[in-house]
Amino acid sequence: MIDPKLRDEVREQLVKALGEPKVLWKKADLLPYTKDTYRIGFDEDYKHFPDFVVLPETTSEVQATVGIAGKHRIPLIPKGGGSNRTGMLVPIHGGIIVDTVKMAKVLEVSTPNLYVTVQPGITLKELEEHLAEHGLALNQEQGSFKVATVGGAISTAGFSRKHQKYGTIADRVMSLEVVLADGRVLRTGPKVLYTSTGYRLQLLFVGAEGTLGIITEATLRVEPLPESKDVLLAYYDDFWEGLGAAEKVMASCVTFVGGELYELGADASSGAPPDKKVAFCIAFEGTSGEVRAEVEFVRNILEEARGVLGGREEAARIIDGYTMRWCGERALLDPEDEINAYVPMERLREFYEKVWSEIVPKHGIRPVPGSRYGLDVGRYRMAYSRLYVPEGEQGWDSYRKAMSEVAQLATALGGSISGCTGVGLKHRDDLGFEFSEVALDTMWAIKRELDPQNIMNPGKKLPPRGVRNRQ
Amino acid sequence: MDSEFAEMLKVSDMCYLCRCGCCKDGCPMYAEILEETISPKGRNAVIRAVLQGVAEPDERVMRIAYSCLLCRRDEESCTARLKNADATEEFRRYLIEKGQKPLPEHAVLIKSLENYGNPWQEPKSARKRWARGLKDRRLVPGKTHTLFYVGCTFALDRTLQESPRALAKLMDMAGESYGLMLEDELCCGSTVKRIGDKRLFQKLRTENEKRIRESGVKRLVTACSGCYKTLKQDYSRLAEALELLHATEYLVLMVKEGKLRFREHKAKVTYHDPCHLGRHTEVYDAPREVLRAVPSLSLIEMKNSRELARCCGGGAGVKTAYPELSQKAAIRRLREAERTGADTLMTACPFCVQTLSDAARAVGSQLKVAELAVFLAEIAEKGSGPR
Repeated sequence: MIDPKLRDEVREQLVKALGEPKVLWKKADLLPYTKDTYRIGFDEDYKHFPDFVVLPETTSEVQATVGIAGKHRIPLIPKGGGSNRTGMLVPIHGGIIVDTVKMAKVLEVSTPNLYVTVQPGITLKELEEHLAEHGLALNQEQGSFKVATVGGAISTAGFSRKHQKYGTIADRVMSLEVVLADGRVLRTGPKVLYTSTGYRLQLLFVGAEGTLGIITEATLRVEPLPESKDVLLAYYDDFWEGLGAAEKVMASCVTFVGGELYELGADASSGAPPDKKVAFCIAFEGTSGEVRAEVEFVRNILEEARGVLGGREEAARIIDGYTMRWCGERALLDPEDEINAYVPMERLREFYEKVWSEIVPKHGIRPVPGSRYGLDVGRYRMAYSRLYVPEGEQGWDSYRKAMSEVAQLATALGGSISGCTGVGLKHRDDLGFEFSEVALDTMWAIKRELDPQNIMNPGKKLPPRGVRNRQ
Repeated sequence: MDSEFAEMLKVSDMCYLCRCGCCKDGCPMYAEILEETISPKGRNAVIRAVLQGVAEPDERVMRIAYSCLLCRRDEESCTARLKNADATEEFRRYLIEKGQKPLPEHAVLIKSLENYGNPWQEPKSARKRWARGLKDRRLVPGKTHTLFYVGCTFALDRTLQESPRALAKLMDMAGESYGLMLEDELCCGSTVKRIGDKRLFQKLRTENEKRIRESGVKRLVTACSGCYKTLKQDYSRLAEALELLHATEYLVLMVKEGKLRFREHKAKVTYHDPCHLGRHTEVYDAPREVLRAVPSLSLIEMKNSRELARCCGGGAGVKTAYPELSQKAAIRRLREAERTGADTLMTACPFCVQTLSDAARAVGSQLKVAELAVFLAEIAEKGSGPR
């Protein structure tokens, strides 16, 4: 928290720039902004209050906020839906949370050029609903779909269940408007999908976690709504048998929308035969002829790989159950957290064996039943698992060490620490496992160039100097 | 802590474990103000902080506690189905019991209930004004089969008194034997229950339940969704002692029994589910069924209907404490109704009628807001036996 006298002065300036209703400063109002969904240490509950939350509606109000923060060297934490899982929204140094949710306008829908321009605070769900009225879709779907904003998804380099056909948000960004730390407005380039001209500055802000600037407008590639949709479901004896089927589907020429392979857990309502422990769901979209042919083709692959086919309703139920696991079930369980590493397909078995046979038992951590193995199938493959965070300070330390060892393992196998939720605080100190000294120096050089005062979400994303070289 | 606050403790702890914020999708108050605190997730965080002594239950906390419509729309979006509305209602009671003063806007309602037995500062005798000409309908203890329980708002708000008259007309037409308590009818206590005044609610419930039971009626019909929810769910034993029907359920019965039918009426109607009638007591089909009994009437559903219906913004003391936000929520719902192309926005709750009519006037909407009984009374005919 900043000095009380300065706080009064800053409040006055913020109110003057944005108006009283868009500046929150009372303790009760700040409470929900002390955490995102990251499991911070138990002793850190209610420790990190922002000094202010502002709710700008325009780029110029964001500029004014950045100007005030820059003048007084106050941290700025850009926020979208607030569902981040790595602590990138935790105000560890106090400061101003710039909540962009009031910047939720659709500015332009271009059907002939297949793009949409939006303010960053619109949720993915709201945007898909808006686009559907124009016969278009962004095709970004994830567990936090109802609450995640476009700005948040870009800043986190969010994943999408529909990755195989439509890519992730990183593949959708055509152009951005960003308020830089010095208050200037950067337009990264024209609203074109492809150019062979300047540096692709828009990509710099994908996954930047608000450490380089505040996104105030985004132009995103969209697609026409498909004529037809379908889904296939096959059950397998265990994860490895299912993985064999997934490898065969990936090796086929079919561009499915996305595929998910996961344990069924104790959910008896799934409709799976009793000896089958794993479900493989694959989605298809396109023209009706295309979808029919692809479904037929993949169905044969699944059956040849010893799969027992399930129905569409079962598939829908399993997919809903999966959403439940990654969202609402968190409320029903003891504190738990996730692994979402990107692991090369051929090293997946080795990864999981080491995680569950070596790392996790060593630290006295329990898996969440039915959530030990999971895989997003396709080019953007991500291995995911859930585990309980042990109680107490010692438990927290064990958990942190285990997470660090998992990060080291994923990168040693040629993968990445996180294929989904970003770095934030959770993986910050482990980034040295994944990136070389030169790569991290380059990242810091970019950070210093764009944010010389280090006011843009300081303490997140990039490891401090002492913990950088871990390779 | 007292087990009567169990839901508040459970929900605030469970929500804190998840914090996904999916509840914000669909929360009518959050949609208008977009502050985390004015969302179930944010409010749960405040509840937990107050219970843990991290935050003082100050004036701002009181305002946050009373910013919820208790509409339960958010619970449809919450994957864990947390009972956020119950938690907030308990939190209000907790704050009052810990010595916080009610919001000044609500203090007026409480005072009126203490003095007059209704929240609208009307003398007890005013309760029978709507029923001039129906004096022979005074309930006869031990003889009347069906009690038409009117409720404070329908009975006392002059702009709404057409509704109880319309339902009485429909009951007459159906040849039903019913009675009215007139000036002896007492508030069900819904208002004070929702704003957390347990003492006054218990007083009203005890007296009201005594009067209803002593009347010896076998059936109670009310057109007010708030009264219906309260009598059904907050008077735990009353619903076991007699048949408790909302007017929409009752009208379906009359139609099915052939006691009532409707003339052909070419209208395009969309139906707004009141929260107390829909999500709280799960009466979704009855109003639609009775509307479908009108020949040539076209019923068009809004994008968000039944479980997903948006709240009108009029509930749980919010209209009194946050009139601007309440009106914004109402306008948002009205716009949704307009998009259906309907000419009439039908509903079955005095607060929804009031709030949506005010919104329609404020924006000059062409949409006619109608209460179900009023609409049906215009086109009803005596039935000719079972269908």
